[in-house]
Amino acid sequence: MLGEERKLREGAPTLSGRVSARLANPDIRDEFGLEAMDMNMGPQHPAMHGLLRLILELDGETVVRCDPVMGYLHRCQEKIAENRMYPQIVPLTDRLDYLAGMMNEHGYCLAVEDLLDVEIPPRAEYLRVLVSELMRLASHIPSVGFLMLELGAFTPILYAFREREQIQSYFEAICGARMMFHYIRIGGVKADVPEGLLEEIYEYVDGLGARFQADLVELVVGNEIYISRTKGVGMMTPEQAVEIGVTGPPLRGTGVGFDSRRDYPYSVYPELDFDVITDDAGDVAASFRVRIKEVFESIKIIKQVIEKMPEGAVLGDTGRRLRPKEGDGFGRVESPRGEFAVHVVSDGSDSPYRVHYRDPSFANMMLLQEVIPGHYLPDIMPIMGMIDPVSGGWDK
Amino acid sequence: MGQVVEFLNVLNQEPWRFIIGAFAVLNLVLGSSAVLVMAERKVAGYFQLRFGPNRVGPRGLLQPLADVIKLLTKENTAPGRADMWIFLAAPIAMLLPVAVVWMVIPFAPETVVANINVAILFFVAITSVGALGVIMAGYGSRSNFSLLGALRGAAQMISYEVPLILSLLGVVMLTGSLSLVDVVNAQGGGFWNWYLLPQLPMFITFYIAGLAETKRVPFDLPEGESEIVGGYMIEYSGMTWALIQAAEFAGMALMSAMTTTLFLGGWQPPIAFLDLGQFNWIWFAIKTSVVIFTFQWIRWSIPRLRMDQLMDLGWKVLTPLTIVWLVVTAGAMLVF
Repeated sequence: MLGEERKLREGAPTLSGRVSARLANPDIRDEFGLEAMDMNMGPQHPAMHGLLRLILELDGETVVRCDPVMGYLHRCQEKIAENRMYPQIVPLTDRLDYLAGMMNEHGYCLAVEDLLDVEIPPRAEYLRVLVSELMRLASHIPSVGFLMLELGAFTPILYAFREREQIQSYFEAICGARMMFHYIRIGGVKADVPEGLLEEIYEYVDGLGARFQADLVELVVGNEIYISRTKGVGMMTPEQAVEIGVTGPPLRGTGVGFDSRRDYPYSVYPELDFDVITDDAGDVAASFRVRIKEVFESIKIIKQVIEKMPEGAVLGDTGRRLRPKEGDGFGRVESPRGEFAVHVVSDGSDSPYRVHYRDPSFANMMLLQEVIPGHYLPDIMPIMGMIDPVSGGWDK
Repeated sequence: MGQVVEFLNVLNQEPWRFIIGAFAVLNLVLGSSAVLVMAERKVAGYFQLRFGPNRVGPRGLLQPLADVIKLLTKENTAPGRADMWIFLAAPIAMLLPVAVVWMVIPFAPETVVANINVAILFFVAITSVGALGVIMAGYGSRSNFSLLGALRGAAQMISYEVPLILSLLGVVMLTGSLSLVDVVNAQGGGFWNWYLLPQLPMFITFYIAGLAETKRVPFDLPEGESEIVGGYMIEYSGMTWALIQAAEFAGMALMSAMTTTLFLGGWQPPIAFLDLGQFNWIWFAIKTSVVIFTFQWIRWSIPRLRMDQLMDLGWKVLTPLTIVWLVVTAGAMLVF
């Protein structure tokens, strides 16, 4: 499936060709007494998401080497999960990615449901997709604003947050929380949505596209400086991206059309009509073009979901005490940052023997060492924006 | 009454005229930077669909006062290994040149502290000292981020001096004088006489170079808060930081005033019958405010460039453009 869409872009710069030629050449280096300057970027640096530390070796402003140091958040999510009962783990998954918490809940529930014989009511499946796509909007729209913030423009982020706040108020109406949700449960969702809310959401997303286009896309994408700062920055080949294990918009930005929603269908996605967006350029600008188009796809999906929403129960019967059979379960969802996958191993008791999260933030961060060397120091910001990481994810 | 007039006459003579003028201008510079901070925050608020400061005083008008009190009472910290003399002298080295140049700017007819015949040269010479302050701050802080900021700042300021000075030459050629009073007088009679139209490319160059000289967005690389976290001013706090900020805001006001003086007719009214006599400083203030507003408009709308792109723009676009337009101006003066 990947094979036919994987293609090598000709003339993409190689790693060795991009690092500083001055420092690499011993003659020049010795003659002028050049040496690299070591600089720590983070963990307190304002543009380093969460607690990321980059150890940089600089030649002037050119980055020769970049070593990301992670682990300052120190969460032990997977270990904690081994000591809790299955339903108690669901709210913990929100903490992995606070911009797309319900996606993580969904991934974990899919993995546990893989172990169980439980029938999920159709309305619950539709509600899961509804909140997932709203989550994608609430993550993709601010990420465009965050990129501009990191490039030095403050205003777009406030326009983006206006939309995110509105979407969060829908989450608040649905599940009572604005950030740490605990809405999706093993076997369905917690409760039905309040009356009239679906119509309200429909009306909102109906106007969102035009507003997003006018307030953010035109302000950002048409901007000369934005183009010059993102075009050709963070270039990678489809091969490189697949090798590193990149997923999500950065991968689709290189032309590889991999999307779990289509390629490993789950929930009611096969019944919905949407496109997997790809872009061939393979740079920061491409990944953001993908994100922007995905916003419109999500709007399309939400409208379909609300139109097709069946009536009925929202939570299947999982019994009073959850004890899956021995074996292992696997669930994967397409979160805004890429593929989030969960592997649960059960020993037949009421808490899992082992839980492993495959978090897109962590996998995509592996790009940094490969892509940053050879770029200027200010290029680190758009590259970080391309990955759009969340620290809870890489320090799981 | 007669004694009062006599006293005023004495005050209007050198050196008293100069001393009082200098005092007034210094106050104007510091006061304007306080007001500009307020204006900046308000403009940002309106651009971002929020209120901005609105708690201290009526409509937040006392906010600058509150800011000053806060900054005065904050502790001045310095890195342990900093070169203290250089570290502390840097803010002064940044503020002083900006303040001094205000001396030669004509606010209204006859209202100029020092009407010297080389005012434009004076402006060019004194403002270039600002780069020294940036280097001092960055080097004195002994921090890699500061050093990067200072080197970026110096490279940028020195590079953009070239198109800035070249863009002044067109005005100098048309006026035939280096005195700013002569420049403003030559633009009298209506807005069609302003140098804005015949020197449009020079005006654009001067404006862009002015943005770069004052380190405003999109040329705020020396500060670059998302990359080098504040650059040359990263280690400053309290009043030393406030002085650097004051220098930046005063610099912005100065560049706007110079733009007004050189290309927008200074204190000259747009149409002759709107002449307010000695009160023509109102025209000067309006025009300067409009230019300052455009500076702020740009700041809250667009992101910043990268160092190599900044250099490209300065050396490969603006400098050739000014040289071409100098030749065009000279040719036009020969023909007409």
